[in-house]
Amino acid sequence: MAEALEWMQYVLAPQVINGASIGVAVVLMALGLTIIFGLLDVINMAHGEFYAMGAYAAVILIAIGIPFWWALLLTPLFMAVVGYAVERTLIQRVFHSKDRHTLTLLLTFGLAIVLEDVLKIAFGANPMRIETPIGGSIEVFGLFFPNYRMFVMGMGSAIVAAVWIFIFRTRVGAIVRAAAFDRHMTASLGVPVNKVYALTFALGVALAGIAGVLLAPIYSVFPTMGRDFVLIAFSVVIIGGMGSIKGAVIAGLLLTQIQSISSLYISPVWSDPLLFGCMVLVLMWRPQGLFGRLGHG
Amino acid sequence: MAKFGGTHMLELRNIHTHYGLSHVLQGISLTVERGEVLGLFGRNGVGKTTLIKTVAGWVTPSEGQYEFEGQSMLGVSSDQICRKGIGLVPEDRRIFPGLSVEENLVLGFMQTPAVGRAQQARKLESIYQRFPRLAERRKQSGTTLSGGEQQMLAIARVLVGEPKLLQIDEPTEGLAPMIVNEIFDLILALRQDGVPIILVEQNVHRAIEVVTRFCVIERGRIVLQGRADDPESHQTLLKQLAM
Repeated sequence: MAEALEWMQYVLAPQVINGASIGVAVVLMALGLTIIFGLLDVINMAHGEFYAMGAYAAVILIAIGIPFWWALLLTPLFMAVVGYAVERTLIQRVFHSKDRHTLTLLLTFGLAIVLEDVLKIAFGANPMRIETPIGGSIEVFGLFFPNYRMFVMGMGSAIVAAVWIFIFRTRVGAIVRAAAFDRHMTASLGVPVNKVYALTFALGVALAGIAGVLLAPIYSVFPTMGRDFVLIAFSVVIIGGMGSIKGAVIAGLLLTQIQSISSLYISPVWSDPLLFGCMVLVLMWRPQGLFGRLGHG
Repeated sequence: MAKFGGTHMLELRNIHTHYGLSHVLQGISLTVERGEVLGLFGRNGVGKTTLIKTVAGWVTPSEGQYEFEGQSMLGVSSDQICRKGIGLVPEDRRIFPGLSVEENLVLGFMQTPAVGRAQQARKLESIYQRFPRLAERRKQSGTTLSGGEQQMLAIARVLVGEPKLLQIDEPTEGLAPMIVNEIFDLILALRQDGVPIILVEQNVHRAIEVVTRFCVIERGRIVLQGRADDPESHQTLLKQLAM
């Protein structure tokens, strides 16, 4: 009994906490992806690059002397402007065509390549780092956890809760859900649907940007940093249900825990195949994912 | 006929609408005046709903002119058309799933964004007085209502924005006879309130009791027009529709 408790305290608990801190960041990424898909029906292949842009924006702001906390506030605002501009100038151009799904997929894929190369040209391929803004660690049940990771968990959870409240408990959120289900009817109630699309795209990109800033002090910042991370986020969105906010949150936290706990028993090399294996299983059993799409009840 | 751009509330002149290669509306010209209820009759697939969608801005006409209160509506987006005062109750109600009855109703206030919250609350209460069953179910998801209640909700959702002209497409389709009576009573009450309406309806025998004027559409063209209170027009209408 004592051995089991010790195992839980010293082996399992650290893995769970580490998994949760990554999980919250994955949820932020997946949330942006799923909101964009749920509303606009656009699979945003450039989401990983927006995440990287968020991290680089924080690097620049900190380099010119702006404190991390201001960077944490300013970066999502900047990324929201970027997202709004991308939606209005690029996505809207192909949004009303018959081949919308293929065109937006190719457009965002092309955008991802361009953004990645721009980051390489501007900052070089070498990784950069941001100083951890909160040092030290906190003792929980006799174990020490880095304060910053605990902060990321708290901040990420607060953002997820705020997005949830915004979408499901406000009038603007009701407009977003209505537009996600039926853009013609929503427009015929006087809602400027194209603006709602652009603002929602901006929200999704801002969420990717804030994930980039939050994780920059934990991981290195480099031009291709979004690639692997966005694959996990895509798996989360597919498992949770394309366009489902609830699905992104539950699948994001669950899958990062599976990855984290499984690494106690199997080589971490297998953590990604395990994740994709879960995705294949869910697709075989429930192709639409675990939960319903945004605006579809 | 009055010159285009005259005093009509709504005026369509030689409207042609295509869906790909399909030429659906083939030169529709009609007017709607303040306070009148215009019935659009005809068999399925003749272009009645396309006409409604064209007026609402869902479909862009390939040719013709379209004015509302003297302003051209060609190329105007459907949200702007709605904010100019043309409300739409579409054929299949299109209640938003996952949104409560009240959330569906509150969305209707987007038609008049300048109206303040206090005025909105008063308007909502007056809507609940007119539709007491919606008041009882205000927290319930809109799509869990019965067909008749959903139709009431679709109409109420547009009425909260006090449209200057209301388009109602097939409001009684698939509803029980008792509910059909309620819907026609409601349309009659709206007519008495002076709300101009374009009504598309298959139940011509009942619809003729609530409209003031009618048009019969065949293959995208208006083939007959008349006044509902004129017995001769009435008989010609029934003959035209082979009833």
